[in-house]
Amino acid sequence: MNIQNLHNEIREANLSYLILAQNMIRADRAEALVRLGLSEDVAGIIEQLTAGQLLKIAGSNMLMCRFRFDDSVVWNLLLSHTKDQSSAQGMHAAILMAGKSVEVA
Amino acid sequence: MKKTKTVLGEARQIGLASELIHLGARLQVLESETTLSRERLLKLYKEIQKKSPPKGMLPFSTEWFMTWQPNIHASLFMNLYQSLITSSEIDEIDAVIRAYKLYREYLVQLEMPEVLSITRAWRLVKFVDAGMLTTTSCKECTGHFVVHTFELTKDYVCGLCNMPSRAGKTKCNSAAQRQQAAIEAADGEEAIEAAVVV
Repeated sequence: MNIQNLHNEIREANLSYLILAQNMIRADRAEALVRLGLSEDVAGIIEQLTAGQLLKIAGSNMLMCRFRFDDSVVWNLLLSHTKDQSSAQGMHAAILMAGKSVEVA
Repeated sequence: MKKTKTVLGEARQIGLASELIHLGARLQVLESETTLSRERLLKLYKEIQKKSPPKGMLPFSTEWFMTWQPNIHASLFMNLYQSLITSSEIDEIDAVIRAYKLYREYLVQLEMPEVLSITRAWRLVKFVDAGMLTTTSCKECTGHFVVHTFELTKDYVCGLCNMPSRAGKTKCNSAAQRQQAAIEAADGEEAIEAAVVV
């Protein structure tokens, strides 16, 4: 991937992430904070962004979103697919992920 | 809760009550969370559910939350509830409703039965408020799980890291599995017959 392509891809990822986040916050703030794992302050800023500001932020060379679950346990649970245990492991992952957003907030 | 006598306030109360009824809450939950009279709540309940509310006391035991499957469901709900209540300033009952909706979303996604009712979820929050139950973290996966408050939890290992051998093998589940196996067997026979015909 050359550098120009990389910048384009980052910009697109940023833009769709920011637009999604803004829509979610506007639709249901409390739920969006949990799903996105954002603080109230940042959510307030994103909610107020204009289209021009969104484009400007999205155009930076850095990704605006990142992996929330910095923990191999969660990833292993999400990846495993043994048939009879998949729902228990899904529950386990869900508990860990919901718990992680408490710690961050 | 503050008594609201305005029309708008009452409209909000009715909205809250009907949302709870739609989620399947018992009358006692409504009586405690809204300022509406028992008669009005009864009428509202009948209008929405098209039947009389179930009678009798609410489940009052904290033990139920300690058994394997309920504990996992309760823990998921509690984690969702706590992340809602810490991340934004919302009323307790509002957080219960939202957390319960998120919890049900997971159940649909994971194709699991609904173990925790909204009434149980509400009781769980009350038990935690009263200091009878709390959450502690598992020393293996660091997830937060519902436990009794004065239990020794230094070396707590959750029911998902350390699964009991008969975990999740309820009557209802095994019946469903037998049915599934029967369907698969029938499909297999049909396939063999089809192969013979060809």
